Amino acid sequence: MILAFCCGMMTSAVAQEQKAAAQAPTAQAPQETVCFESRKGASEVTKRDLKPGWPNVKCSPKTGAALWYGDPYDGTVPMGKMPGLDKIPEGHAVVKPRSGNLAVLPLCGTACHNGVGPKFSPPTLPKSKKPVPIPTMEGLLPDAKDLQHGRGRIWCLDCHHTAKRNMLVDNYGDPVSIDQPQLLCGKCHGDKMRDWRDGIHGKRIGEFASTGKKRWFTCTECHNPHNVQDGARNKGFVQLAPEAPPQLPKGMKDAKHERVHGIAH
Amino acid sequence: MQQLTSFATDYTRYVLTGGTKFYAWMGSLAVLILGMMYVFYLQNTDGLIVTGMTSQIHDGLYFANLVFLVGVAAGAVTIVFPAYVYHHEGMHKVTVLGEMLAITAVIMVMMFVFAHMGRPDRLWHMIPPWGIYSFSSMLGWDVMVLNGYLFLNFICGFYYLWVKYTGGKVNNKWFMPLVYVSIVWALSIHTVTAFLISTMPARPMWFHSMMPIRFIVTAFAAGPCLIILAFLIVRKNTKFWIEDSAINLLSTIVTWCLGLAIFLTMSEIVVELYARTEHANGLYYLMFGLHGLTGLVPWFWSSVFLMLTSFVLFLIPSVRTNYKLLPILCVMTFTGIWIEKGMGLIVPGFIPSPIGEVTEYYPTFVEVLMTLGIWAFGFFILTILLKGAIGILQGDIKYRGQAAAAK
Amino acid sequence: MTPNESPSADSVQEKPSQCQAQPAAADPSAPGLKTSRRGFLKAGGALSMSSLMGTAALMVQSDDAAAAVEWAEHFQKNYRLMTDAEKAEARARLERRYSSEYGKKVTVDTTGPQPGMLMGYALNIRKCIGCRRCVHACVEENNQSRGERAGEKIEWIQVLRMERGEFSKDKMNQGYPEGLGIQVGGNAYTPAGQVLEGQYHYEPQAVPEKDATYMPIACMQCEKPPCVKVCPVRTTYREADGPVVIDYNWCIGCRMCMGACPYWARRINLTTPVLPKEEMNPVTHYLGNRPRMRGVVEKCHWCLQRSRQGRYPACVEVCPVGARKFGNLLDPESEVSLILARKNVFRLKAELNTFPKFFYFYD
Repeated sequence: MILAFCCGMMTSAVAQEQKAAAQAPTAQAPQETVCFESRKGASEVTKRDLKPGWPNVKCSPKTGAALWYGDPYDGTVPMGKMPGLDKIPEGHAVVKPRSGNLAVLPLCGTACHNGVGPKFSPPTLPKSKKPVPIPTMEGLLPDAKDLQHGRGRIWCLDCHHTAKRNMLVDNYGDPVSIDQPQLLCGKCHGDKMRDWRDGIHGKRIGEFASTGKKRWFTCTECHNPHNVQDGARNKGFVQLAPEAPPQLPKGMKDAKHERVHGIAH
Repeated sequence: MQQLTSFATDYTRYVLTGGTKFYAWMGSLAVLILGMMYVFYLQNTDGLIVTGMTSQIHDGLYFANLVFLVGVAAGAVTIVFPAYVYHHEGMHKVTVLGEMLAITAVIMVMMFVFAHMGRPDRLWHMIPPWGIYSFSSMLGWDVMVLNGYLFLNFICGFYYLWVKYTGGKVNNKWFMPLVYVSIVWALSIHTVTAFLISTMPARPMWFHSMMPIRFIVTAFAAGPCLIILAFLIVRKNTKFWIEDSAINLLSTIVTWCLGLAIFLTMSEIVVELYARTEHANGLYYLMFGLHGLTGLVPWFWSSVFLMLTSFVLFLIPSVRTNYKLLPILCVMTFTGIWIEKGMGLIVPGFIPSPIGEVTEYYPTFVEVLMTLGIWAFGFFILTILLKGAIGILQGDIKYRGQAAAAK
Repeated sequence: MTPNESPSADSVQEKPSQCQAQPAAADPSAPGLKTSRRGFLKAGGALSMSSLMGTAALMVQSDDAAAAVEWAEHFQKNYRLMTDAEKAEARARLERRYSSEYGKKVTVDTTGPQPGMLMGYALNIRKCIGCRRCVHACVEENNQSRGERAGEKIEWIQVLRMERGEFSKDKMNQGYPEGLGIQVGGNAYTPAGQVLEGQYHYEPQAVPEKDATYMPIACMQCEKPPCVKVCPVRTTYREADGPVVIDYNWCIGCRMCMGACPYWARRINLTTPVLPKEEMNPVTHYLGNRPRMRGVVEKCHWCLQRSRQGRYPACVEVCPVGARKFGNLLDPESEVSLILARKNVFRLKAELNTFPKFFYFYD
């Protein structure tokens, strides 16, 4: 018995020599990898090496979604003021500004909407909430044709500042940066705003301690404000392609049987 | 000391010599053993990926055989118990053969443990003082009771043979207590093995308190079957005569234990399928298949057929005392229980998995060869042990009687 | 048997520490025992065993420094019983081996649990869209095997797809037995919100699907973990700050823990893990994501290499809908504590009294 034990141990010990690492092809893809973070069309990140072998982000080859963060604070700035956030140390709440990526944003306030609001009186109360069909505008923003937010109860200038079109409006009608949409969205979605502020709603990355440094994902990084209902699904988050399914265990050709044959009872 | 060396040399010389039939038998077993060593090497270079086991169904043929063989080891008590507690004459003569069977079965269990482990080279982690012994782990307890049982049977069996060899008298002062301990211990090995799987609420198919008694009755049916077969072979091929009364008692034991085993299986089926909760999915898979997967269904029904038929035949006294039919019945029972307790118990415990995934398990060639090889190794040892024991009991091997050993 | 045995060629110039390992190769029963030797001497007979295995080592080959490092690993103690010096030694040994194997500087963290910290996890099942990014983020972070052969690809998270089900007016008067009164209605087996039916291989064009909801599962990091109880060598255990961890070097691969886990959280490395060099995450923890070896069990550990340094686990960071929340249960201001205080939460399979620290909640 002892002998068997030792023999077995030795035989298997002899076999311990296999190495884990597979040979790595050293070819590096020269083209730039840009992947989207939360939802497609919102914030994006370009892959680069922070140090050798340590990228800022890893992207899914299948869907192009960000899968892993080497540096959660890459490209962030302090979030700025937010009511009810006194417990978090200065600079521990950071956001990634989107304004720089929106190419036409600086033009918005000058080219077409040169600081003049519509001639309503008072100016934020139009006769109809349906956006005026302007081909240029609809070309830039297809969602404007059939605005899916508030079920027809709100229109452009409920959110965008009347005179400064590249800014949003806060509680008091004052202009706020497009990078601080929470000051606007919280006007109606107060409960979500509170959950977001406390970390229950929405996404954050970085340090998990309640006072830790975190990158906060703002409302519009996950929700498309112009199409927040996503058609019939009415769920607030657009559909996207899923990542690859898991491998099937040995002996199984597919997993269809689970759908095709129900459990007999 | 000199006695001991001569015992060892006489014993070895006796068991290693034999006729053509003996060498042919041992040679063919050796081929299978070589095959086993090769696949063991494969398993320890490529890993368990060469087996059919997956993360879903991670105990397969090896674990099934392990559980079954613990039963065979425990089954040896069906000889020891009548011999020493009821002083059954016929049994008393052959007790030591039962002990040899127990030793073999436990060694086979150990080998299946080696085959089953992901890292057999680290098994020393279980053994203090180098490793850690965990009192909370049923596997820890199982290893302990199995080794204890091996030790007890080795001591009892070989002490008895030693006494016969030297022509002395058995010292009952410590021998008898050891025998009684080994009887209780036999129950413990199978109880603990049952606990091994029945203490897991994650696997509802196993999670019931009937498991230990079911294990023991199936063990006391399958074990004696193998013993009867061995006895009949011994009677035919050697000059050693095993009395009919011993064989008849064993077949009576098989009859009633098999009946109880069938009863317990039926009870389980009624309890599980009456309410038909999600927890019955494992049994349902075994009996009828699940989600259209039916891999084990033929196994289950063939086991039912084998066990029921052999039970009915065992009930007829003229059949079970007919030594031409008895081996067939024994093989039927043995196979039926091997299926029921092995593939039919271990594998469906994992189907569906705790998250409801239904997958199937197909043993690979590696697993089959390993299993055959370990069984061959078992028979190899059993042949040697039985041959030696019979030689001593017959007086072929005797202290200062080497001449007798030659013939 | 050892085809790609010399990864040291490209790494030797940057790794002077390997020179130290060279003399060790000459006597494989000795390396790494400077401090653990005391334990071995106490154990007496262990020496014979180690020399036996050492001989085996010599028989195979042993010029390779990395191989010698590996052999020293064979004799190390259970991680929990190691002294700080032994831990440091084991760590250095592993860093040496991993760095040469993967051709980059690999760190193996040994940070222990911090006082005042009890990790907890919460998942909003109303939010989950079934995109499986968590599944893949986990693989990127935790160095799982990612080969092509069946059984070579390991994922710790499953996203279960649950039917919304459909009740039909046509079936309301159907069922069995017909006649005196129907005991089992025709809509009885409608799989509405069916949990744990194992459907996680779904592959639609886009998620979330209209007729389904999703429920991701992984290790629940139970406060009363059944897997820990059944381990015969106590290689898996609950750390003071919550996660249930495994010392991969002590695991014997018996898979009892896999049988005992009611959440199917554990995986066995059926073969030597396939982990390409460039995909390997070099920031590791001893009890966390360091590369595993063949034949050992692994599972989620809440990214110990991150969470012990205060960072969110990888799955939390990658979830596009923010359904995953992680924090300190002892801090009333943490995300999970606020969820427990405010939301409706449940634990999966609570009837088994495993007391998971993984909570499901919904808005």
